[in-house]
Amino acid sequence: MSREQVFEALQAVFDDVFQEQVVASAELSASDVEEWDSIVHINVVIAVEQKLGIRFRVGEVEATRNVGDFADLIQRRLAEKGR
Amino acid sequence: MVALSTLRKRAAKSGFQPASAPSVLRLAIVGGCTLFPLAELIQHCIETSGLGTTGQNHSRRVELFTGDYDNYVSEIVTPDSSLYEFRPDLIFVIPSERKCRYSGGLFDGRDRQEAAARKTAADILALCEMAQNRSGAELILANFRLPSGIDPGPYRGKSAASEWTFRKLVNLELGLSAPSSIQICDVEFLSSRHGTLVSTDQRGWFESKQPYALDFQVLVAREVSHIAASLRGSAKKVVVLDLDNTLWGGVIGDDGLDGIEIGDTSPRGEAFKAFQACLKSLGERGILLAVCSKNDHARAIEPFTDHPEMVLRMEDFASFQANWEPKSENLRRIARELNLGLDSFVFVDDNPAEIEIVRQFVPEVEALLLGPDPSMYVQELQDGRYFEALNITPEDAERVSQYRVAVQREELLASSTDMVSYLRSLEMKAVIAAFQSVDVPRISQLINKSNQFNVTTRRRTELEIRTLMANPACRGFTVRLSDRFGDHGLISVVICLIEGQHMEIDTWLMSCRVLKRQVEEEVVNEIVRIARESGCDRITGRYIRTAKNGMVSDLYPRMGFRPAPGASEDEAEYILIPAEYQTAETSIEVTLKSI
Repeated sequence: MSREQVFEALQAVFDDVFQEQVVASAELSASDVEEWDSIVHINVVIAVEQKLGIRFRVGEVEATRNVGDFADLIQRRLAEKGR
Repeated sequence: MVALSTLRKRAAKSGFQPASAPSVLRLAIVGGCTLFPLAELIQHCIETSGLGTTGQNHSRRVELFTGDYDNYVSEIVTPDSSLYEFRPDLIFVIPSERKCRYSGGLFDGRDRQEAAARKTAADILALCEMAQNRSGAELILANFRLPSGIDPGPYRGKSAASEWTFRKLVNLELGLSAPSSIQICDVEFLSSRHGTLVSTDQRGWFESKQPYALDFQVLVAREVSHIAASLRGSAKKVVVLDLDNTLWGGVIGDDGLDGIEIGDTSPRGEAFKAFQACLKSLGERGILLAVCSKNDHARAIEPFTDHPEMVLRMEDFASFQANWEPKSENLRRIARELNLGLDSFVFVDDNPAEIEIVRQFVPEVEALLLGPDPSMYVQELQDGRYFEALNITPEDAERVSQYRVAVQREELLASSTDMVSYLRSLEMKAVIAAFQSVDVPRISQLINKSNQFNVTTRRRTELEIRTLMANPACRGFTVRLSDRFGDHGLISVVICLIEGQHMEIDTWLMSCRVLKRQVEEEVVNEIVRIARESGCDRITGRYIRTAKNGMVSDLYPRMGFRPAPGASEDEAEYILIPAEYQTAETSIEVTLKSI
């Protein structure tokens, strides 16, 4: 999956999860979105895992600084799944 | 599972407005774990559970209070905590799994370990009672999921110090000691059914202190929602049943009494019989049974009055509507007869068209469409969870329950010191009947399947049996046995052939489950009675050895027959003179039918 497609998938998840309009961009982080608290965060992670059929390891998502990092992580897990 | 915010967002888009619901439930959830998303799942399940497929709205809006992570003890113990400020109607408590542990050693005495389990349970229950007394709320308590970890191996069941056994003990104590005001959300059962391994999510625990894997949280939420509904007394009181392909296989009007599938003769017949037994036990628990069928009344009642394999009989039904009017009309008639609301009815049918009519014209009735496989009927009915009682009332307990019967049988076995008094106490009743058309499938099945208690092992087809029945020189009979614990059904088949003044026992077989119940003696009594009636002065019995029928090699001598000369290892002939025979006394009350 290309990086562009990953962002498309993230945008679809954001549209589903957030009540307000949130644009998925590489620099975006949770602190930029008022709604994005620890509870909504659980939703985002679950939705991404289910949509893309991947599973993150413990602590991985927490270690990402922004949506760009998160997209990198998603691509790594997708590549692993493809093998 | 879809993430919850997504669910709620979709529900809002589809026009579902919880705010329009008629009543509000103030639900507080506290526990030793993170309560999101579980709390919102429970809220979602309760708010949507009242929405029937027909659009009526029994739903409630849920006002939610979620306790802080692992703060439930303080929230309950502190009199002016935010929990009590919330004024909950219902409290759901999930005690901390981490605190449900034996702190001593694996090799401590059993007494100490069990005492610790009792103490753990008592502490939790005391906390719950305090919460109830202070809030006046209903309370649901989650018990403990069993651990999925394989350690310490096979030893886990041999010491109450193992997490597995300790939690089981605590759960048992919680259930058995809980006052009737506390409902148990049986997480142990749910996780065992679902699988403890997939109910567990270690990452979810480490990252955000999730109590269970997400999919399993949905199951727990549904259970809590179900208990919350039961607390409002929404359990059903009546189950209304279709007949053809619901209570038996086939169509009574077309296939007739001999043609319908019911009973132990075929796998499908067994499945229908099991469904009837399930319904019968509902009846014993106080659920009313009714029939609503498109049929001629006279044909429809035939199986209930005349078919030996039916579990349900006419007296099991509170109302019986078999006619050609629309089922919706008949349901209304049943409701009037029983003076009960249609919203306490469940209607069960295998025909989608009938279900649709009922859903359209009597939407208050819960309509259950049975699937294509009768072996699933019991589960399909149970999965509806229509008839669950939170507590069994004294009125329920007065009814004859199968549990009580099971206890009685055990007590009886324990108290009967000698065989004779045991047999007498069984209150056995036998029906000995000449071969009847309706019994042919079962007779044929026994003839072709019985191996052990079978003196000659002669196999015959249904057609051959029917030919024998038409032959006046052939006297065949069957034995059915029941005792105070239940009906064993048709368990013995005998075929006697008469030639002049001589009778030969061609076939004698019996189901081994009624061995040594004196049925053998009653069979010989009957054989002799027929011989005398037919003017025979000699009866021959034959034993033909097979690999499996060793248990009856000495049957004839035990029954008073004399060996005839010329016996070999594989075959022996025995003689009984009717004039010399003394009728055997047994503890069975025998009824003869059309012999």
